[in-house]
Order: sequence, then structure tokens, then C-alpha cells
Amino acid sequence: MTDTITAPTIEYLLLSPLLVVFGAAIVGVLVEAFAPRYLRAAFQVPLTLLSLVAAFALVIFVVVKDGVPNKAAAMGAVAADGPALFIWGTILLLAFVSVLLIGDDFVPSAVAVPGSVEEERAVSEGAAHTEVYPLVLFAVGGMLLFAASNDLLVMFVALEVMSLPLYMLCGLARRRRLLSQEAAMKYFLLGAFSSAFFLYGTALLYGYAGSIDLSKISTSLSSVGGQDSLLFIGAAVLGVGLFFKIGAVPFQMWKPDVYQGAPTPITALMASGTLVAAFGALLRVFWVALGNLEWDWSPVVWAVAILTMVVGAILAITQTDIKRMLAYSSIAHAGFILTAVVATAGAKQNSLALSGILFYLVAYGLTTVGAFGVVTMVRDPGGEAWHLSRWAGLGKRSPKLAMVLAFFLLAMAGIPLTSGFFAKYAVFSAAVSGGAVALVVVGVVASAIAAFFYVRVIVLMFFSDPAADGPSIVMPIATRGVVGFAALATVVLGVFPQPVLDLASKAAQSLFVR
Amino acid sequence: MTTHYLVLSALLFAIGGVGVLVRRNAIVVFMCVELMLNACNLAFVTFARQHGNLDGQVIAFFVMIVAAAEVVVGLAIIVTIFRTRRSASVDDANLLKY
Amino acid sequence: MEPIVEHSGGVIGASWLMIAFPLASAAILLLGGRRTNAWGHLLGVFAPVASFVVAVMCFLQPSGRYDVGLYDFIPGVAKVGLLIDPLSITFALLITGVGSLIHIYSIGYMAHDPERRRFFAYLNLFVAAMLLLVLADNYLVLFLGWEGVGLASYLLIGFWQFKPTAATAAKKAFVVNRVGDFGFLVGLFTIFATFGTFAFGPVFDNAAKASNGTLTAIGIMLLIGACGKSAQLPLQSWLLDAMEGPTPVSALIHAATMVTAGVYLVVRSGAAFFPEGATASLIVTIVGVATLLAGAIIGTAKDDIKKALAGSTMSQIGYMMLAAGLGPAGYAFAIAHLLTHGFFKADLFLGAGSVMHAMKDEVNMRRYGALRALMPVTFITFFIGYLAIIGFPLLSGYFTKDGIIETAMDSNAILGWLAVIGAGITGFYMSRVVFMTFFGSKRWADDVHPHESPSVMTWPLIILSIGSIFLGGYLILSNRLMVYLGPAVGLPEALPQFHPFSPTGLATLALVALGAAIAWVRYGSAEVPQVAPRGSFLTTFARRDLYGDALNEALLMRPGQWLTRLAVWFDNKGVDGVVNGLAAGIGGSSGRLRRIQTGFVRSYALSIFVGAAVLVGAWYVVGNL
Repeated sequence: MTDTITAPTIEYLLLSPLLVVFGAAIVGVLVEAFAPRYLRAAFQVPLTLLSLVAAFALVIFVVVKDGVPNKAAAMGAVAADGPALFIWGTILLLAFVSVLLIGDDFVPSAVAVPGSVEEERAVSEGAAHTEVYPLVLFAVGGMLLFAASNDLLVMFVALEVMSLPLYMLCGLARRRRLLSQEAAMKYFLLGAFSSAFFLYGTALLYGYAGSIDLSKISTSLSSVGGQDSLLFIGAAVLGVGLFFKIGAVPFQMWKPDVYQGAPTPITALMASGTLVAAFGALLRVFWVALGNLEWDWSPVVWAVAILTMVVGAILAITQTDIKRMLAYSSIAHAGFILTAVVATAGAKQNSLALSGILFYLVAYGLTTVGAFGVVTMVRDPGGEAWHLSRWAGLGKRSPKLAMVLAFFLLAMAGIPLTSGFFAKYAVFSAAVSGGAVALVVVGVVASAIAAFFYVRVIVLMFFSDPAADGPSIVMPIATRGVVGFAALATVVLGVFPQPVLDLASKAAQSLFVR
Repeated sequence: MTTHYLVLSALLFAIGGVGVLVRRNAIVVFMCVELMLNACNLAFVTFARQHGNLDGQVIAFFVMIVAAAEVVVGLAIIVTIFRTRRSASVDDANLLKY
Repeated sequence: MEPIVEHSGGVIGASWLMIAFPLASAAILLLGGRRTNAWGHLLGVFAPVASFVVAVMCFLQPSGRYDVGLYDFIPGVAKVGLLIDPLSITFALLITGVGSLIHIYSIGYMAHDPERRRFFAYLNLFVAAMLLLVLADNYLVLFLGWEGVGLASYLLIGFWQFKPTAATAAKKAFVVNRVGDFGFLVGLFTIFATFGTFAFGPVFDNAAKASNGTLTAIGIMLLIGACGKSAQLPLQSWLLDAMEGPTPVSALIHAATMVTAGVYLVVRSGAAFFPEGATASLIVTIVGVATLLAGAIIGTAKDDIKKALAGSTMSQIGYMMLAAGLGPAGYAFAIAHLLTHGFFKADLFLGAGSVMHAMKDEVNMRRYGALRALMPVTFITFFIGYLAIIGFPLLSGYFTKDGIIETAMDSNAILGWLAVIGAGITGFYMSRVVFMTFFGSKRWADDVHPHESPSVMTWPLIILSIGSIFLGGYLILSNRLMVYLGPAVGLPEALPQFHPFSPTGLATLALVALGAAIAWVRYGSAEVPQVAPRGSFLTTFARRDLYGDALNEALLMRPGQWLTRLAVWFDNKGVDGVVNGLAAGIGGSSGRLRRIQTGFVRSYALSIFVGAAVLVGAWYVVGNL
């Protein structure tokens, strides 16, 4: 018997969006290494945007060419199914608009101590921190892979590929360096800590099932019966890693600090793209690998969802910093989405809940990028004006900007005729049809509490007098485009949600590949 | 007799976890995280032997690579913050709160 | 009535363009800002004209009831779709046709207003919302349009917001309409609770299965909505104040179209909620008769030309309501009167606007007089409108109003005779307006130099007056409109015959002539004092809008204030304790909870660690249950 190694089959077309993004990221690194400094920006920006567009086009091409695929590509490592492709498209779209937000927010030389001679020299040389772009591409590639990984090792690697560049990016803010660096350190330490949990959970599940393949874990669950401490501890510890990434309570602590300290475009990317990817991975683990264990995990997720909604909404009330408030709102929204995760009473409900979640992710992602885009526009001499007191009377100084932000906030509150309404409606109705009525009641109460702090900002902007030395409004054309696009999407998804709802339910129809 | 290895792995993991909680120096905290990763590796290798397949051993290599990458990023972040603050204590970085 | 059939494609399928044109134009004008000042009014005129073309094309399609589904709004609960049937087409033609003329007129009327672009944007918004209202295929979308026209009306009444009176009037219109809208909303909820859908088709088909009480309740609630929008008693008080808006607005919104939305609602829902002889229908007729008399009486005493016309509008809509409450026999007359009224009242208002334009925005008729020679076109067109509204034989109003009176007489003699008396008062107050404005001696100040308006304003007047002459006869003779509307609203058992010299008709004519004669004696041949005499108790009664505002104040506002005070007291003592306690509790817990977020990364790690332990423990417990 001769053991020959057969070459693995790789479905290059299905994986092409991933390959394009990673390829462009590597090219970006080479540009950083070899291109002269003054040329780098001219290379990096188009390269990044084009690769994201190309990857998006490839996602569409794959679907148009052969219909919605439903297979595990690359020898079962990467799932190429409806939800994965939908999430890919969503992440690429959100990444594209987030990249457009990147302006002069990044430090010219990360190693230089703030206020030092080196920094002044870097500034006077007009140095720009162009490695931001390949870092973003690596992070986006990691997000794509994270949401589509079909075994736990790929998921772990993707988690790290996604997170490591983000840790770096968090620390690169040009202004308020101390906050930015602190955010980077906290994010890094806690992220590494939680991924260690994720890995330990992977190890235990491997020990239980003898495989890290999601579908094989699922089959061994049904054959063995699922009464095993290895399994319980493994699944719970694995869950810690995933809950950390979506910012579920009690693993949410990093979110406000990191969202506040990070450069705002990166916050936008994390609040939209990372959340989408993390929910993709979370659903895959809970529904595919642990699907047969539903009776065990669903009470736990219930509790986590309730805590997340309530704590997120309540803590947001007393925030005085707009980015921090949006961070807490993001926690609450993660809780709202979790209500649909537990709504699993059969394949039909699953697909309903899944399509609701997918719609929610698109709608919330775009709204939140738009909101952070507005944040980047309101500037004090020392950088963005974060403190809410600086936003007082913005409606009188810049009515259009204030109205757009008010609109985003109303969408997050879930007012009808905005995308947020249908998003909430979709997940809550899925939760109700899955029997989680009590959860939805809590969700609605939390929404009511959340509405308070959204409206508080609106009242502040429109019904108080502007300060004499109020912040100035800076409107770069790209940012304006992003905010306008997000506002348009929020309106269109609120008035005319049908096409995207259809797309989501088509993507969710065959559920995840097993 | 793989149980002993698993218990050792769990102990290492717990030591690492507690180390993260009690140590102040960012470098040491980070090393504790690495310890947790290595505990995972030990578990992987043990389970690979128990199940008689090679997956766990292969995973251990992947984890090492990832851990190495993490070191690069982590040290970079810790060094920049040290240069700014002249302190590597995680408790000093306390501006973002509430 | 014909069943509603699904339809897509073709001209009917493109009917949504009717709404899209003015909506897009409004959006461009509002978002474009000052950049669009130069050509904004042209775009603003183009939009309703384009909609009119689409409406005509839909009208020329084979008649039928087509449901054009656009999309699911909330899947399984609410769809957005248009119902294209004879009734909605008729309204669409009126709105876009008369609307286009008034848009054209406004180019001249608003020429000197620096905010003309914004004015056109609001007018376009109104047209879009009004079309949505009449074309909707379900109550929810209808309500959307209903609120849309309310918003546009609010914006336009208060268009000259620098005048405190205009701002107050806008607010008043808004508040009074909220009362009506509240009724409508309750009706809407009841409809959904009863039928599980908002769509017209299923609701009408299943109406017979619902209990009588429910149907009456829904009918009354919808009627409250209709009263608010159509300025019927007891929610009439806002219309007179609404005349603070620019005159084209008064013509389009507060005479020709929006205020007829209530009539549309009653006729549209007629088969289900207002069948002949039902309690709800009876209430509709009573409201109609009461309003037609009240409006007419108010009209007799107003010196402000627009307010006199506003009283007349109330009164004429009262006629329509009366007819709408009489079942299929009345529907065609209600709609016919609505259409002819749309023409002659728009004609009268635009004529009044033309006069005001010439008189430096003077509205007091006691300062007019003898204008007929100076403004010949305005005078002739106004006079035609006047003849049409009083029901001069063979003009539009003659046919349609007479039809309503005859039908009412057939149904109930009291209603009929009250309607006849109303017609007599109409003869009086409209003659008064004409005599005070165009006849007699000149009473205006020396620095006023009346002149004829530019042709962009007179041409719409001419077209509207032509409509005022012929439209009524065209619609009523050989029952054209009734047969056309039949598939949509149902036909009476026997088609009515038109008698040129029925006793009722003769009585009406006699009373109208009497009214006109009295007006001639008092305002035509006699000198009109420039300052209003004190007048009798009755005059004061009419001048003060029949004490409508005082009544509102005494009956609603004061008790309302007391109720509010009581509620505030209770609120402070009781509810606030709970609510504030709750808010304080949440805020307090928020303030306390956020302290957990200490800022120390190690405490965060602790939270993760403990969380992990709890998660493992919980999972373990649940798993071993």
C-alpha cells in the first residue's frame, strides 16, 4: 500500500472574494515595503477600494452564475452557502463605506511619542499612515472567513486574522493618542484572553467529538447523546469567545472603551463589519455544530440576550460621550439580534429567524456607519467633539447634519418608516414564532428605554441653544457621500424593504451548509 | 492515561487565567495569555492521541503560528504605550471608563 | 359593484407615476435648496401636468377595478398598492386637472414671493399625498395620504409664518385635524381587528359578516375623521382660519380637493360602513345638513371675501356629505357636485385672489366695489362661478345641487327642505359677495390702483369658468357619471330621471332668486358702509362663526383645561411618582451600574472570567436537568 497525497480540491471561484481581499492586502504590504512614501497613498486607496468592489462583484457573480451555492468548499474548511454569501456582501459593503470615512484620523508615525520631535518631523514631512489600508483589508478578509468557516480551527485562525489588525488600528488615532493607545491595549489583552477561551472550547469539543468539523461535531452529538461534561464545558467556553466578539453581557466591557478610543472610522468598521461577522460565526456554531443541543443552550442564550438588551439600554442612558453612547447602543442591538438566535423551533422558523437576522445586520450596519460618519464631521480644535454637551444646538448651526443624525438615531430606536423598524420587526416576529414571547417583551421594554437616550440626543440638538464657541463642521466629500448613502439606505429599507427582505430570505432558505 | 494530561492542561489554563487577573505588568499579563494558549495546545495533542488521529497535532502547530503573530502585535502595542506613558502597568491605563 | 381584480403592467400598471412625479419634484425642490430657485416653479408646474397626462391615459383604458400591487410593506400585514377604478380615476383627474391650473396660476400669484420655490415644493407634496389618498387600495395607505395632505395643508396655511395669524391658523388646523385623525385611527384599528386586513377588497367583501354594532362603530369613527378633514360640524372651526394661507392654497386645498377627502372616504367605504338606512348613514346626512346650513349662515355675514367663500365651501361640502349619506342614489350626485364644486369654487377663489392681487392684498369687501369695469376677465369668470354655485339654470351647479336636493327630498322631506333653504341662503350670500366686490361705488383707498391680472392668472380662470358652465350638465344628463361610477360604488335600483321643472327645483329657484334680490337691495343698489354696522344679534351670531370658537372654548377648551389641570395634579401626585420613580430608578441604576465599568482592564478580564464560569455552570445545570 502506497500512501500518496492527493491534492486537495479548492473551489477557487467560490472562494474568490476572500482571495481577492487577502491578495490585495498582501499587495498593499508590498507597496508599503517598496513604494516611496509620497506614492503610497495614491496606490493604497484605490487598491483597497477596488479590491472591495471586486470582491463584492465576485460575490454577486457567484450567485448569478450558479445560483445560491450550498457546499463546504476547500475540503470542508470554508462554507459557501446562502448566509455566508449574504454576509460577505454585507461586510464588503460596510467595509467599503467605512474605508471611505478614513480621512486624516490616523497618526503619521505610530512609534513616535505624542508631542515628540519625531512626531513633529513626521507631520512636517507630510507622512501619512498608509499601512492602515492593508491592515483594514486583512481585518476584512478575516471577517469574511470568520463568518464562513466550517471548522473550528479555521474559525480560530480567522478570528485572529480579523482581530490582530483591528488591535493595531485602534491604537493609531492621530488625536487623543493616550485614549487610542489605551483602547488598543485593552482590546488586545481582552481579545487575546477571550480567544484563549475560544481555543480551549475548541480543544474540549475536539476531545469530545474527535473532530473540529462543525457538521461532524453535530453528528457525534446526535449519536452519543450529548450528556458529557467535556461537551458542556467546551461549548460554554467556546461561547465565551463568540459572545465576546458580539459584545454580549457579561463580556461587553471592552466595547465602550474600545469604541470610544479607536479612530472613528475604525469604530465604524468594528461596529458594523465585526458585528456582522461575529454573528455569522455565532450562528454557525450554535445552529450547525450545537444544533442538536438546542434544549441545553437556548436557556443560556435567553439569559444572555436579556442581560445584553437591558444592560446595554440602561447603561447608555447616562452616557455623556456620543461614541460611548453608540457603543452601548451597539450592545443593546446585539441583544435584540440574540432574541432571534434562540428562535429555533424547526427549519421553517430557523430560516425565518435567519433572514430576520441577516436583514437586521444590513440595516443596523449601514445606520451605524452613517452615525459614526456624522461623528467624524463635528470637530473641535482638538479633534472630534465627542462630548454630548458640544452637540447642543447643532440643529440650529447645521440643520441638515443634525436632521440626518436624528434620522439615524430614530432608525436605531426602530421608528416606523426607517430600516430599524423592519429590522426589529423581523427579529422580534421570528422570536415570537419561535415561542420566545417573554424575550420579546423584554426586548420591547429595552427598546423603549433605548428610545429615551436616542431621543435625548435629538432634543439636545434641536431644543437647546448652541454654545458660542460650538464645534465646527467639517464635511469631506467622501464622508458626505457615506453619510448620504447610509441615510438613503435607511430610508429605502424603511419604506421599501421588500427587495432586501427577499434577498435575505432567499439566502436563508437553505440555512447553513452541514 | 490521558486524563492526567488533561488535568494538567486545565490547571495551566486556570493558572494563566488567574495570572491575567492578578498581574499588573502588561507583558506578564500577555505571557499568561500565552500560557492559556499553550494549555490548549496540550489539550489538543492529548486528544489527538486519545482519538488516534492527527488533527489535534496539526492544530497545535497552527496555534503556535497564531500565537507568534499575536506576540508581534501585542508587543508592538505594549511598547508604544510604554513609550508614551513610561509605564507598562495595565492599571495605569485608566482614562476610558464608566 | 364589480369585484376588484389584480392587475399589473400596461398603462394601469404605471399609474404609480402619477404620485411619483409630484413627489420627486417636491423632493428635488426641497433638497435642492436655493439652487433650484430659478427654474423651481417650472418643475413644480410640470409635475402635476405630467400626472394629469397619466391620469387621462388611465381614464382612457377600459373601465374596471384594478388593484395594482406595488410591494409588501409589512409582509402578511400591509401591502402598498393602488386601486384604479372609476371613483379613484375621477378624483385623480380632478386633483391633477384643477391642480395643474392652480399651479399655473400660482406662477403669477407668487411671482414676487422670495420663497416661491418652497411654495411649489409644498404644493407638489400636497398633490402627491392627495393622489396617494385617493388611489390607495387599503386604509393604511389611505391614512398615509390623509396625514400627508394634513402636513401639506399645515405647511401651506402657515406659509407666511411671519404673520402670527397665519402661524396660529396653521396650528389650529393641525390640532383640529388631529381630533379627526384620532377618530380615523380608532376606526382603522377596529377595521384591522375585525377583518385582519386593511385592504379594501377583503374588507368590503366581508363587511356583511361583521356585527352591526361593529360596522356602525367603524362608520362613526371614519365619519369623525371625515368631519375633521372636510370641516364638517363639529370640527369645522379650522377652515375659516385656514384662509390665512396664500389664495391658490385656499383654492386647491381648502376648496377643490383636500376638504373633499372626507366625502371620498364616506363614498369609498359606503358599501361596507354606510349602507342606505344604517345609523351611520343617518348621522352622515344629519352632519351634512347641519353643516350646509351653518356654512351658509356664516357666509352671509363675513366681510372678508375669502372667509365668505370658506363658509360657502363648508356649506357645499355639507351638500356632498348629505348626498353621500343617502346610499348609491346619492353617491353620483355627491361626486358630481364635488367635481363641479372643484371647478367653480376654484374659479371663485382664484378670482378672489386676482382681486386681492389687484387691491394690494386687501380682503375686506367693504373696501372693494365697482371693480367690474377695471377687471373685466376676472369679473366675467367670477360671475360665471357665481351663477354656477347658486344653481342658475343650465350651469353646472344647477344640475348637481338640484340632484342632491331631489334625492334628499325622496329620502326624507325634512332633509330635503333644509337643503332647499340652504340653497336660498347661498343665493343671498353669494350675490352679496358679487355685489359688494364688483358693483356699487368704489370704496377703495386712493393709493390702490386696481388692474387686471397677468394672463398666466387669467387663463386658468377662463378654463375653470368654462368647466363651471358645462361640466354639471355633462355629468348629470343621461346619468353619465352615475353609470360610469356604478362598478365602483354601486347603482341605485332605478336610475333617476332629470326633470327640468320639478316642484322642488322650482321652489329652490324661487328661494335663490329671493335671496339674490334681498342681496341686491341691501348691497347692490344701496350704499355699502365702509365700516361694518353693528347689526342684529343674528348678524353677530353669523359673524362670530355661529360662536363655533366660543363653543369650542366653552365646551372643549375650558373643560379640557380643567381636565388637564386635574390630570396634571393627578400626574404630579400619582403618576409622576410612578413614572419619575421608574425613570429615576432606571437612571439611578444606570448611574450605579456604569461604575462597574471601572476602566481597569483587569476588572474587565474578571468579568469575562466570572462570566465564563457562570456560563459553564449554567450550561452544566441546564444540560443535566
